Formats: sequence, structure tokens, C-alpha cells
Amino acid sequence: MKEFVALPSRTRTLMAELRSRLGDEGPLPPAPPIPVIAPPPVRVFPSPRSRSRFAEQAAAHTTAMIGIGHVGTRYATDVVLQFQAELAVAHEAVHTVLPEDWAASKGLLSLKSRVADHHQFLLRPDLGRRLDEASLGKLRSSAKRGVDVQPILADGLSAVATMGSGMTLLEAFSAECSKRGWSVGTPMCARFARVWLEDEIGQEVGAKVAVILLGERPGLGTGDGLSAYLVYDPRIGKTDGDRNMMSNIHLRGTPPVEAASRLAVLTGAMLEQRTSGVPLDLSPLVAQLGDAGGTGYRAPQKRVRLVETS
Amino acid sequence: MRLTATIRGASYTFTSVKEVLAKANGPKSGDDLAGVSARDAVERVAARAVLSQLTLAELRENPVVPYEEDELTRLVEDTLNENAFAAVSALTVGQFREWLLDTKTSGSTIRSIASGLTPEMAAAVAKLMSNLDLMVAGAKCEVVVRANNTLGLPGRTSSRLQPNHPTDDVEGILLTTREGLSYGCGDAVIGVNPATDTPESTAEILKALHDVRVRNKIPTQHCVLSHVTVQMKALEFGGPMDLMFQSMSGSEKGNRAFGISVALMDEAYAQMKAGRSSTGPNFMYFETGQGSALSSAAHHGADQVTLEARCYGFARRYTPFLVNTVVGFIGPEYLADGRQITRAGLEDHFMGKLLGVPMGCDACYTYHADMGQDEVESLKVLLGAAGCTYLMSLPLGDDIMLNYQSTSFHDIPSVRGLLGKRPAPEFDAWLSSVGIMDGDRPGERFGDPSVIR
Repeated sequence: MKEFVALPSRTRTLMAELRSRLGDEGPLPPAPPIPVIAPPPVRVFPSPRSRSRFAEQAAAHTTAMIGIGHVGTRYATDVVLQFQAELAVAHEAVHTVLPEDWAASKGLLSLKSRVADHHQFLLRPDLGRRLDEASLGKLRSSAKRGVDVQPILADGLSAVATMGSGMTLLEAFSAECSKRGWSVGTPMCARFARVWLEDEIGQEVGAKVAVILLGERPGLGTGDGLSAYLVYDPRIGKTDGDRNMMSNIHLRGTPPVEAASRLAVLTGAMLEQRTSGVPLDLSPLVAQLGDAGGTGYRAPQKRVRLVETS
Repeated sequence: MRLTATIRGASYTFTSVKEVLAKANGPKSGDDLAGVSARDAVERVAARAVLSQLTLAELRENPVVPYEEDELTRLVEDTLNENAFAAVSALTVGQFREWLLDTKTSGSTIRSIASGLTPEMAAAVAKLMSNLDLMVAGAKCEVVVRANNTLGLPGRTSSRLQPNHPTDDVEGILLTTREGLSYGCGDAVIGVNPATDTPESTAEILKALHDVRVRNKIPTQHCVLSHVTVQMKALEFGGPMDLMFQSMSGSEKGNRAFGISVALMDEAYAQMKAGRSSTGPNFMYFETGQGSALSSAAHHGADQVTLEARCYGFARRYTPFLVNTVVGFIGPEYLADGRQITRAGLEDHFMGKLLGVPMGCDACYTYHADMGQDEVESLKVLLGAAGCTYLMSLPLGDDIMLNYQSTSFHDIPSVRGLLGKRPAPEFDAWLSSVGIMDGDRPGERFGDPSVIR
């Protein structure tokens, strides 16, 4: 074994010179010894062995990341990795672009808004609310007109969600509508679409109710949720107050098939009362509607550990 | 008034002060969306050159929304302090920038003319400032306020504890509150955005937070951020309510979209003055954010920085305890990326302080904006260095109800530690008394929520 020789420190030499120039001829204090560094305790989230009362209560009442401890004033490494993984899931969902041929491959009429690319989609909501010329022509030439309900599948802010459970939701909702004897419009899917795109589509096909099913803005660790927005008598110029919505449609929230039947109940109320949004009276339907009757907040997401090593 | 500038022989002429203000603005996606931004960097500089030559008197004569059309314009004009205005009215915007940055101009001198400034003046000078200018001038402006404790003193950085819960589970809210307090957060307010906007749930959360505060003798204040009309009803139930909250916009039309007006806020203020549970003279809490007017088509062709300043012109009528800009919450169509969000945070802080409100900032982003976690952490340090009154604080910075990324419980002691800042003095003493802090260092019980009963 090679013998360890301490090299003369350049900093110490400079310091000694400086002290001498400033008139301090005393020797420099000795250099601090190299410490023995003990490995810190293992910290994992969520801790499988955590039995504290606080941790138990936290698990029962919230999905907020609390009881996670600290190193100095910062997070433990394991918490950092969990956080970065959750961020990555959200960002991946936002940045995934629905492939151009996806709609056709599912047998859906393929439409696009006036948005040219994904970057523009994020910055120009106004363009995402209107169809481009080619799509308008396609809609006029091949879509069924004068229907009771026009469902529209769309990418919104998560193409991951659209490609995940979009078809299941679209088919289940269309089946629920047919079952109730309503005429259902041509199955279609729009790219780079914002919620209000349903107004122009619904107006063009002369639908009584338009329903757009689209990927919702991802939260930390989640990116697979769909939302549905419904509007009676769709036409350009309708606002948010004219719409009803249901969010959090995914397996951990409201599963697509269950969501489809609730959306059909909501559609039925619109057809019957001939209105939607604020004036729509949902009080007799609360039991059947569940989340679809509410203000649209999202139920808490259960946090799952995303990072495993070894 | 000459609205022309020449750059390299090319002449740029603008048709109105509003156009000059808009085109002088730093790049913002919201101004592009509104169609009011400069077409390129050179035109932007030309607009700034024109702006630098306008006097503050000319800005007063040219509000971005006409007096006849907008009650906020009327409010500012009719209540402007004429003596304070007279002291600065002849300065050009360029001279005003230099006066603010001059070492001889103290914070108290700036404060003495604040009531003579219109929001358009604050916005105009911000457009001539770089980020570091905004920080240096912003750090000078001291706005000290008091409710149950004192905010805005030199060397202090406070925080709002934001224990939001997607279903308003009160136990969940209290657990998060305890965790946050154990990191030294919550001296500005313990404030919950409720999922359900009803007087009953507002009153229930207020009562639960009040009990924690009283039981643990914590010198801070609490608030539930439901709509002001809902809080007025909750106050009729008997509170307890330390602060009353409302979101604001920069035009009468924008405020109508929020369901408020000057008359309604006057009524809310009067009710709160009589019925509040806090002890100091300041008890209102307002939130703002660039882009809110445009999002309700209430921008009147003005840029989002000027409209944001007009929110502070509204807010100062009520000598609020807290005002903050929720800077990155609105989304990339208004502030596209980290650069724009950072700039907006520093602009809003400076403009608010200059107009005399105790400005905080929710340094945050949504997951569809082009901003990274490292960038938002940098912004927190910039804001702390600029003397920002308070930042938000949440577990991991993750709002599990509103789905956006803000400041974390851990970030607050980190920023304070880096910058040598302390919490509000009363809260500071309490933290040391229970062992969460040991002076300026984390104490024995730091990060231990069981210290709060």
C-alpha cells in the first residue's frame, strides 16, 4: 500500500504570505483534520416503517407530501427523486403530441384546430378554439347533421390521457346515448383542441348538445386524466358559464365507463331543460351524477412511489 | 406630446400613450395574444425611448382606460394626493427611474410620494428597468403593516402557509398546517383556498385554524380565500376572521367578471373593520396576476403589466395587510416561460411596493408552462433579495387542489438562511420559544409537526 503524503496547500501558503505582509508573523493555526463521515440514516418516501401518529393521520387525510423530514433546510435525496419523477410524468403528458394518424387508425373523423404546432397550441388558446379550413370542409362533407348529441374526442393538455382511455370513454358515452334513443353524431377526434372548439363543431353539425372529451391539465405525478365539457345549443360565442363539466376521469378517479353513464344523465338533463351551464337545474339528479354534478374540483390523487432502485 | 423616436435613422411613431406603454413592455405571450406587443426588439426600444420622455403629468392625463368608462380610473384620479403628485409631476419617466435608483433617494421619501402616483406611472417606470433595477428599487420601498403581527420590516421575509385540500378535509388542512409551522412558515397568514365556496365550509375552516392559532399562541393570522360575498356571510355567522380576501383585476370590466366592484369592496371593508378578529389596522388581503383582465376580455387594448399595476391602485384604497401576485398560475398563454414569469414577478413586486402596498409573490408555474423547478427556485431567491414581503409555502411546493407548483415549506427557511432574513419579529420570537428555530438557525424541533398541538 502506497503511503499517503499530505501535499503542501497552496491556499495555506498564500494565507501565510498575506498574514506576513499584514504584519502577523505568528504561525497559521493547524489545518482541520479530515473528518470521519458516517452514512446518514436511510430516508425513503413513503416510509414503510413509519408508525408515527402524524404519519398515520397524514395517510388517512391528505395526499400532501408531509412528514417527509429534512436535511438541513432541504429535502432528503429520496424525496428529491420522487418529486422529480412526479414532475417528469406531468411534463411528459403535456408534451406528448397526438400523432396525426391516430384518429384515422381508430376509425374516427380526423379534425384539427387552426393551431400549427404544439408550441403554438400552448400559447394561442384562441387558435385552438376554431377549426382549420380543411377540417371545416371535412366536417361539412362527411359528418352526420341534425343530431341530438355530438361527442368529440380531443387531445387537450394531455394526449397521453386521450390515447389511454379516450376511446373507452367515447365508445361508452356514445353507447349510453344510443341506449336512451338519442341520435349520436359521427365519431370524431380533434388535434390541438381547446374546450371551446366544441362550439364550432356542434354548430356546424347542428347538434343539440356537444360534448368534448379531452386530456386535462396534468397535476404532479398524474397525466392520464380526461375531462368532459358539455354545452347545449353549441355555437361560437358560448362562454364557460354556458357549460357543465366533469373532471378526473381515469381509473383512480371516476373510471371511464362510470363517467360515461353520468355524462349521459347530464346530457339528458340538458335535452330536457333545453339549457346548460349555470341555469341548468341538477338538484333532482344529484344521486345519479356524483362528480358530474359538482363544481369540477379534482378528488385527491393517491401518491405512489415512482422510483425504485436495485 | 411627441410620440416619435428614431433609431439608426428609422423613425417610429406611436398613436397613443397606451400604445407606447404596451410596446415598451418586455416580451410577454399575453401581450402577443392581445395583439398589443412590439413587433420586434427595435420597436420595443423605440417605444421605451418615447416613454422615457413623457412626464408623469402626461401619464396622469392619459390613463389606459378612460375616466368615463372605468371606475378604477375614476377611483385613482379622484383620490390622488395632489401635493404628492405635484412633487413628481414634472419628471419624465426616464428621470423618475433615475430618481428612484439614486442613493440619496430613501425608502421613506419614495413612500411620501406614493399616494401621488397613478398605476400607469408605476408601470411606465418598470418598463424602463432591468430585472436588477427592479430589485434595487423594489428593495428600497418599505411598506410596513400590522394585523396580529408586523410585516414588511427591513431584514424580514415572511410566508403564507397554504394548506389547501381538494375536498376541504379539515383534518388534512390542519396536518399540513402543523407541518408548515414546524418549518417556520405561516407568519404572513395561514390561508386556505377552499374547494367549496360556501359560507358554512368557510366558517368551519376559519374556526379550525383559529383554534390552532389560539391553542398554540401563534402570533399570525388566518384566512379562507373564498369569494368576498361568501366571507361576508361567514363573518355574519360570527367569524372568527383575521383577514378578508378577494382576487382583483385591473379594470372595472375585469372586476365584474370576478363579481366585485368598488362599492362591494367598500362594503366588505366596512363590515370587516367592525367584525374582524385580528388586532391591527390592516386586515384586507388581495391577489392579482398579469393576464387576468385579458382572460375575461376586459383589457381595453392595454398591456398586462399596466393592467396589473391598476390592481394595486385599487388595492391601496383598503390599506391591505397582504397583496400578492400569483405570477405563474395563469398559464403560458400569458407568461410563456421562466424568463417571462421571473420578469413578471420582479415587475409586480416593484410596482406594488412603489404604489405603497405590502407586496408578496407566489413564485410558481403550471406544468404546461416552459419553466423548470430550478428556475422557480432561483426566482424565490431573487424575490427575497428584492425585499418581497412574503412568499407562499406548501408541502413540496405542490398544491394538491389547484395543481400547480409553488414555494415549499423547505424553501422558506432556505431563502431566509441564504439572505440572512428573519420572519416577522413576533413570529420569530414564537419560533424560538417552541424550539422550531434557535435564533437564525433551525432548532431542536425544526420540521417536527408534533411541536404544534
